[in-house]
Amino acid sequence: MAAPPDALQPYPVVGALPDDGSLTRDLLGPNWSASRAWWPLFIVSGAFAVLFIVAIAFTVVKGIGVWGNNIPVAWAYGITDFVWWIGIGHAGTFISAFLLLLNQRWRASINRLAEAMTIFALVNASLFPLLHLGRPWFFYWLVPYPATTGVWPNFKSSLPWDVAAIATYFTVSLLFWYLGLIPDLAAARDAAPGLRRRRVYGVFALGWRGRAREWQHYRVAYMLFAGLATPLVISVHSIVSLDFSITQLPGWHSTIFPPYFVVGAIYSGLAMLLMLVLPVRRIFHLEEVITRRHLDNIAKLILLCGCLLAYSYVCEMFGAWYSGNVYERFAMLISRPFGPYGVLFWIMTAANVLTPHLFWSARMRTNTIVLFVAGVIIWVGMWLERFVIIAGSLSQTFLPSSWHLFIPTWVDWSLLVGSVGLFVFLFLAFLRWVPFVSVAEVKRLRLDVQRGVAERSAT
Amino acid sequence: MRRESHGPELLAEFGTVDAMLHAIDALGDSYGEIETYTPYDVPDVDGRLGLRPSRIGWIAAFGGLCGMVTAYGIQWWADVHAYPLNVGGRPLHAAPAFLLVTFEGTVLGAALATFIGLLLLLGFPKLWAPVDEVEGFDRAAIDRFWIAIPALANENDRERADALLHEAGALRTVVVGGA
Amino acid sequence: MSAIFNRRAATVARATLVALCALVILIPTVAMLWVRTPWARGEHRRIVQPVPFDHRIHVTGLRIDCRYCHSGVERSASAGLPSTQKCVSCHTQLWRAGSPMEPIRQSVATGRPIPWRRVTQLPDFVYFNHSIHVNKGVGCESCHGRIDQAAEVEQAAPLTMSWCVDCHRNPAPTLRPLEAVTTQGYVPPGGDRDIELAAVLMKRYQIHSLANCTTCHR
Repeated sequence: MAAPPDALQPYPVVGALPDDGSLTRDLLGPNWSASRAWWPLFIVSGAFAVLFIVAIAFTVVKGIGVWGNNIPVAWAYGITDFVWWIGIGHAGTFISAFLLLLNQRWRASINRLAEAMTIFALVNASLFPLLHLGRPWFFYWLVPYPATTGVWPNFKSSLPWDVAAIATYFTVSLLFWYLGLIPDLAAARDAAPGLRRRRVYGVFALGWRGRAREWQHYRVAYMLFAGLATPLVISVHSIVSLDFSITQLPGWHSTIFPPYFVVGAIYSGLAMLLMLVLPVRRIFHLEEVITRRHLDNIAKLILLCGCLLAYSYVCEMFGAWYSGNVYERFAMLISRPFGPYGVLFWIMTAANVLTPHLFWSARMRTNTIVLFVAGVIIWVGMWLERFVIIAGSLSQTFLPSSWHLFIPTWVDWSLLVGSVGLFVFLFLAFLRWVPFVSVAEVKRLRLDVQRGVAERSAT
Repeated sequence: MRRESHGPELLAEFGTVDAMLHAIDALGDSYGEIETYTPYDVPDVDGRLGLRPSRIGWIAAFGGLCGMVTAYGIQWWADVHAYPLNVGGRPLHAAPAFLLVTFEGTVLGAALATFIGLLLLLGFPKLWAPVDEVEGFDRAAIDRFWIAIPALANENDRERADALLHEAGALRTVVVGGA
Repeated sequence: MSAIFNRRAATVARATLVALCALVILIPTVAMLWVRTPWARGEHRRIVQPVPFDHRIHVTGLRIDCRYCHSGVERSASAGLPSTQKCVSCHTQLWRAGSPMEPIRQSVATGRPIPWRRVTQLPDFVYFNHSIHVNKGVGCESCHGRIDQAAEVEQAAPLTMSWCVDCHRNPAPTLRPLEAVTTQGYVPPGGDRDIELAAVLMKRYQIHSLANCTTCHR
């Protein structure tokens, strides 16, 4: 390593890597054959994905009456799962786009994993609002197209905003991910054993040969995508939060929602990223590629997001108290902490507000077990946050006579557990067949480190 | 546009970035346009090859503009003209409400234009090119760095270029393509 | 490397990609054009009735008013079909025999109505009321076409929502005086674009443009 050791930054951004050829073999090797643990995991997660499909089919055939939702709690698990998953997706874009724009070079070895997380989280997220339509086969009514009814969507409603935001976010994330993959698909094409594999990767690599002109256009295009995705990711969760905050419901009707939701989204996504990166790092022996620097940085980001989120929680409550409105005060200061879902509120607060403060300690930031457990706790805590906001606020509204509790049915649970199953299933398929660490970027990063360029800009 | 490989080309394989960059410097301007094939984005290559800046930014801007106009136009036409709906007496033309979808449309337009523009600029998908026929060229995506220059018709010039590349550290040279 | 693709494969790949993109654009375009054709809307579809009833003979030949048989049209939501008794009141006197009349004889004998098949069908979520239209000067012809020229009745109008809404937003051109509601081949006294008459009728029948959702969907 050319750069002198830095007291503030004790861990290198890349470890001791073998030469380019071996590095390519190491990083792409898992794509050629399945490890022993892969099949059982794939089958088990596949079974949960089947459960998801069964629950979806049941919902479609019988109608969403099979969920626990009812007036006044018209939104519960479905929308909670939606907001949770789409929030998780945000961390992937954060890592690949924000950090690229900020020249944070350490993103190179984990951005692919994070982007894959975004895509698969979005697959889940976009299913829930569709199911919530009740008649999902008419989803295209949300899209402005020249129908023979002559009816057009009302763009003053937040729901068409949602459609535009999610559709754009999914498209941009997918293209961004694929664009990043092209050089690695070319590497896979040229490194894969067997003609059949080489041809499959070859088709997806589109004929990438690494010409100077290709790299030049590609670099600009990739940066453009980062520049587009960065404001996009902020807009998406802001729009999601507007679904709530433009209503009059105490507990939803709050101006802090957009930034609060964006921070919470990135927070939950970083937590899930830890849950994915740590096992991948261990199983595929990537300690020299995904170094302690990465874990340390993710933990620091989690600490930052955790503090911002705690601030938002306080602000939300303070706003309710300061408004002087009796319904606002009741919803935020009595119903939420001490109402029927009060226990969930306190679990959520403990999980989301206290957990990140572990990471003031440098040792905790690189302890993989602590990181993993903290990731799980925050991951669950963030689901609870959405549930408390959505179903909790709806269950005790203005009229005590119409108060009603939401009790989830087996379909609600199956959709939640099944969506996690589908995510794991897709993620395992990704690990098996797609280059899951950006080989080209790691090689370039190593070159920059050798030349002493990266350390200055890689903190 | 830069030349696509038409005539025969002289290819040289290098084991390291530095050797390749050195060779580019050694060749200078006297051997026609140089092309490189590298497994990752090597810094400083653009300047050495004298590439003009990529136009893809303009394509993205154009796509973004189209997306923006389309998104706002659809909302305005739908909610003001095609299906005016009175929502609590609010104005039919509600610009602040329309801006959200307009933003999404801008991003979508720019992203699609960037991606499609990239494919068109690079001529992708291009599954076959003459260089593919060179034995061992596939390492260009893994750990080897290649330079291509137009193979000169003059026997002496060609030998001189060949010698120059070997001197700069080329592992081997090979002539490919052409009628 | 021996290349994994040849020149031909490259061309095929490009053509496939272009074809896929074209399909993505073409399929919705064709679908949207198709639903705008009369065939997709069910117009011109032949519907065979149990009795080969010919409106030409009854309307043009015998000059029977629509309301003689469809007697509910001015008073209720549905225009109604004539009972078998109404057919028989004439057809005991003439044209009694012959196999075409068999379902009528059966109906008289058993007391079961003739199973006429519906031609102009609106979805159940549309609350259409004949009486309000007929009493405000919307002619039968406007929706049902030239019944006096129809050997077999078929759907004559698109029946799409935008077709309904077009008239609801701007009813004036469709209006006619009440005495001409059942007229076939009606031409306004001042010609096709009789704006003055339209204005008079709008006022006379106190017609508002009713384009709220709840006008039809309740």
